[in-house]
Order: sequence, then structure tokens, then C-alpha cells
Amino acid sequence: MTKAADSVISIENFTMKFGDKTVIDDLSFEVKKGETFGFLGSNGSGKTTTMRALLGIYQPSAGSLTINGKAFEPEDGKMLGYLPEERGLYKKESVIDVMTYFGQLKGLGKNEAKEWSLNYLKRVKLEDKAKTKVDKLSGGQQQKVQLGVTIMNDPDVLILDEPTKGFDPVNRRLLMDIIEAQRAKGATIILITHDMSEVERLCDRLILLKDGNKAAYGTVSEVLKKFKKTTMDDVFLHVYGEDAATQQEGEE
Amino acid sequence: MASRHNLGTVISFEFWRTVKKPSFWIATLSFPLMFAVIIGIVYYSSKTSSDSSEKLAQEKFSIEYKDDSDIVLPVVAEKLEAKKTQDKQQAIEDVKSGNVDAFFYYPANLNEAQVEVYGKDSGLFNNGKYSAVAEQMLKTSASATIANPKLIAVTQGSVGSKTTTYKENGEVSAGWLAAVPPLLFLVLFYFTIAMLGNNLLNSTVEEKENRVTEMILTTLNPTVLIVGKLLATFLAGLVQAAVMITPAIIAYFVLGADVINLPDKDILSQLVFDPTAIIIGALLMVGGLMLFTGTLVAIGAVMPTAKEAGQYFGIAIILMFVPFYIIMLILSDPNAMVVQVFTFFPYTAPVTALLRNAFGSLSIIDAAIVISSLIVLGTIIILLAVRLFRYGAMQYDGRLSLKTLTLKKR
Repeated sequence: MTKAADSVISIENFTMKFGDKTVIDDLSFEVKKGETFGFLGSNGSGKTTTMRALLGIYQPSAGSLTINGKAFEPEDGKMLGYLPEERGLYKKESVIDVMTYFGQLKGLGKNEAKEWSLNYLKRVKLEDKAKTKVDKLSGGQQQKVQLGVTIMNDPDVLILDEPTKGFDPVNRRLLMDIIEAQRAKGATIILITHDMSEVERLCDRLILLKDGNKAAYGTVSEVLKKFKKTTMDDVFLHVYGEDAATQQEGEE
Repeated sequence: MASRHNLGTVISFEFWRTVKKPSFWIATLSFPLMFAVIIGIVYYSSKTSSDSSEKLAQEKFSIEYKDDSDIVLPVVAEKLEAKKTQDKQQAIEDVKSGNVDAFFYYPANLNEAQVEVYGKDSGLFNNGKYSAVAEQMLKTSASATIANPKLIAVTQGSVGSKTTTYKENGEVSAGWLAAVPPLLFLVLFYFTIAMLGNNLLNSTVEEKENRVTEMILTTLNPTVLIVGKLLATFLAGLVQAAVMITPAIIAYFVLGADVINLPDKDILSQLVFDPTAIIIGALLMVGGLMLFTGTLVAIGAVMPTAKEAGQYFGIAIILMFVPFYIIMLILSDPNAMVVQVFTFFPYTAPVTALLRNAFGSLSIIDAAIVISSLIVLGTIIILLAVRLFRYGAMQYDGRLSLKTLTLKKR
């Protein structure tokens, strides 16, 4: 596969095995600068595994995974915002302390991080919770805080693993506005989601994973055209069919 | 540069969140508080008993005595206005009827029979005054009879002895005065692990329990995180030590050494600081801390919860504590097989070697072997701990298996 000049994320011939089980088999794709890229698949299809390998958390069995032309190191974390599927924050600390800490780790000064955090909390209507301990927040409120930590310091690359999971429609709308704002600022976004309406509305291109490799790859209209469907929901059902319906809920 | 910035950020975050915990201050303040209460009780009881003694000494009571031993001198008895009697039974009756407060009977052969003391009941604590006065009458009379200050000193047991021993090279052995400074490293090592070990363990498991690992690992090098946690824990330990020691220092200088049962300032100035023993002690302590803290981080990385990790921490503490069970053997027979095993087995080595170093039975070669093995093994364990943290921390719901570790190894 020839690497495009404007690609930010490049995954080439990536294979991931856990013991005898091959989760990803010779996968290749690219994410271009400034695009919002849908990373789709049923539960257990290897989406989170691919992201963990891309971020150096897992060692790939084979292949190359790069961001801006090199393997990711934590020192590059300043240009990355990662909202993992497995959510968590320091529960016994106050919201502002946790956000300031992560802001500092992402290269902001202490005061700068605090100021940014307070502005963000105001934006997501949590300004009165700044000094509240994280474990006193509802699940949705914790998610908002975690998204704030993710987009701190306006990262160039955002990887959002099911960002709207557990949100009510009002907060889902708020969250999508925030993601769109980051997109407007020029961030490259990988969106892992099961919500196909989000994909249709936000994604420039997408990949559909099945059996460890791509079942579809291209723009939304290209994918719809390929499967002769009018909605991404229909495409999803077509690709995964019974598999998706019977897929066990849970972690990848 | 970024790593240094992040290290400072981690230390600051970890330190402040530790010292902001109420449990930290409960544990920290309970010691000086307990100490203050004990000092208060000791001071109060010491003052009360001193006041009582003075009061008792001034308190006079009528005495009769019968002396078959012929030791009590009339002049001594007269000072106490004690009247001599020949009728023991009548004197006892006089005490019973309240005509006289006390009666002392000195039998002929004091080697075989005891002085009999009879008195009017004046309470459990005050009744002691009768026997005190009876014995004092006898001692004063005996001393006056000997009329030789040297012999009196010998009979009263107030003669001390000063021992000087020599090493093989002919130098004077300093004994306890030389053992105390290197022993301080043992105290420091023991308290550091005992008091901070749990904090360190909880702090390591916390990322996993809070499921924050993935965010941390994409922002921060795990080595920086672990080193930051270690340094923050030690800083918190310094705060803890300062809070604990301050009341003792204040009590020492304000109330005096006697009150808190510490050695006199003069004795402190006589302590012998052997540079070799102190350097070896410091290195043994550093090596021991590296090994034990690395082990704690490794346990924290592998275990899914603080509760489960705590059980394994208990084993580490027991291993550290085991050498104290054979302390007499360590001191008296350092060449015994079990002492040798404890000296070189990594997890019992710090305490055993620190004890032997303080008491001069650890050769420089043995010390070098133990120190280097502790530092090398400690370094390996810390590196392994970082690796375990990196991959074990992703195992949110269970222990890290070797299989998992070999699979995730970038």
C-alpha cells in the first residue's frame, strides 16, 4: 500500500495474535490529516486492540503502526487526545485537580491547565463541580470530564473510542458539538462508534472491520454505494448480519 | 526535558494527594499524639509520686520497735522518736488499738528472718511508708556502724565498673556507642517500609482500580510514573517522620531527657561514628529500599485490587521481620549457617546485614556482596515492576499472567 503524502496515521500489514487467536490479520489503512475517520466493527472485531497497538500499549505481532511517520511514544502524548473505551479518572481527587494534572502532563503550565479546565467545565455546565471529587459525579458527568481531559491542549490527533456511550440525547448533542469544534480546528479524528448516524454526520471516511480485516474502506458515500444501501445502519446489518445480532456484549 | 517536567508534575500530584488524605494524617498524628499522652502520663505520675514522697517524708507517725538483731542504734531511733520496747505482743496490740501507729520487729538473725512491720492502715499506697522507714532505720544504723564510706558504698551496691575491650589490632572497642549510629539505618529502613509500603502499594494499584492506566500510558512514560510515585512516597514519609519526631525533640529539650527516657546529651556526644560502618549501613539501607519498594510496585502492578495486593505485601513484611526472631543468634554467632543464609537471601539480607554491620560482625567482603546483590536485584525488580505496571495495569479485572506479559512487550 502506498502511503499518501497527507496521511497522519498509517497502519501497514498489521497483524495481532493473542496466543493462537488472530484478532487482526494483515490490516492496512491510512487516516489523512484533518479528516474524521470512522473506525467501525462489531464487538470483538479488534477496534480497541488496533488502537492500543497504534498507541504502543500492545506490541503488534507483525506490521507497522505510525503516527506522523513514527511509532507512538508517550512523549508524543501532547499532540494526542485519547478517550479510551475503558473509562476512568482518579476517583478520590477533585475534578479540577485531575484535569490540571493531565493538562500539565500534556505540556500546559499549572495555571494555564487550571484556567482551561474551568472554561471547559463552564462549557459543559459542570462549573459548580470543579472542586467535587470525581466519584461524587454521575457516570455522564465523569464522561464529560474525561472528554475534557482528552481534548486538552487542542491535540492534532483525537482517538475517541465510543465517546457517546452512556450519554442521554442532550449530552450526546453537546458532546458531538465539542467534537465538531475540534474537527473545525483541524484535528484529525478517529471515531470508534456503534452509532451509525454519528458516522453519517461526522465521518469523511471509514473502515469496517470484519474477521480481522477490512470489509469496507472509503468515504461514506463510497461504502453506501458499494453495498447498495441508503444508510450506514443497513450497511452494518448487511456486513455483520446475524453475527452482530448474536455478538456478545462486552470488551474487545 | 519533557520527562523531567513530567516527573516533577507526577511527584507534586502524588505527594499532595497523599498528604491531603485524612487517613495520612490520622496515621501520622496518632503516633505523636500517643507519645504526648504517654509523656503527659509519665510526667504527671512522676511529679505526683515525687510530691507524695516528699509529703510522706514530712509525715510523722509514732513508732515502737523491738531489736533482737542489735543493729539499730538508739541515736537513729531517737531521730524518728521511735520508742524501744521489749514486748512484741503488747506492741502489736498497741497498733491494733491505735495507741501507736507502727511497730517494727527486727529479728536476731536477719539473714534468715524478715523484719516484721505492723502499722495502722492508712490506705494501699500510704502503707508503704512503714516498711520504708523500718528499712531505713536498719540501713542508717548499719552504715553508721561500719563507719567506712568505701565499705558502705559496696554494701549499698553503688559501686559501678568500667569495661575496656580491645580489637584484634589493639584498638579500643567502642561497644554500644559505635553500634548505635549504624543501627539508625536499620530503624530508618524498617520504618520506611512498614509505614510507607502500604501507601506505595495503594498508589500503584490505584491506576488500575480507577481504570486510568490507558490515559496515563499514552501521556507518560511508565518509568517516570513509577519513579515519581516512589519519590512522592518518600517525600510524604519525610513529612510523616518530621511530624512524628518533632514532639520528641521538643520534649527532649523542654522537659529533659529523663522524662522521655532518652539518653543524656552527654552520652549522645560520646557516640562513635565509624565511617566504614556508616557508609555500609547507608548502602545496605538504599539497596534494601530498592528491593522492597520495587517488589511492592511489582505486586501492585500484578494484582487487580489493593486488598489482594495487601496480602502479598504482608508476606514481604514477614520476610523482612523474620531475622528479628533470631536476633540473639545473629549477635552471638554470626557464622551460624542460618545467619549466613539470612545474610545473603535478598529479602532477609537488609535487616540481618544491617544488624551484623552495627555490631561489627559483617566483613567488608560480605558487605560488598550483600550491597551489590541488593542493588542489582533491586534495579532488576524495579525495571520488572515498570514492565509489569505497563502491562499488568491493562488487566483491570484479574492478575497479570506470564502469557499476557510475553504477548504485550513493546
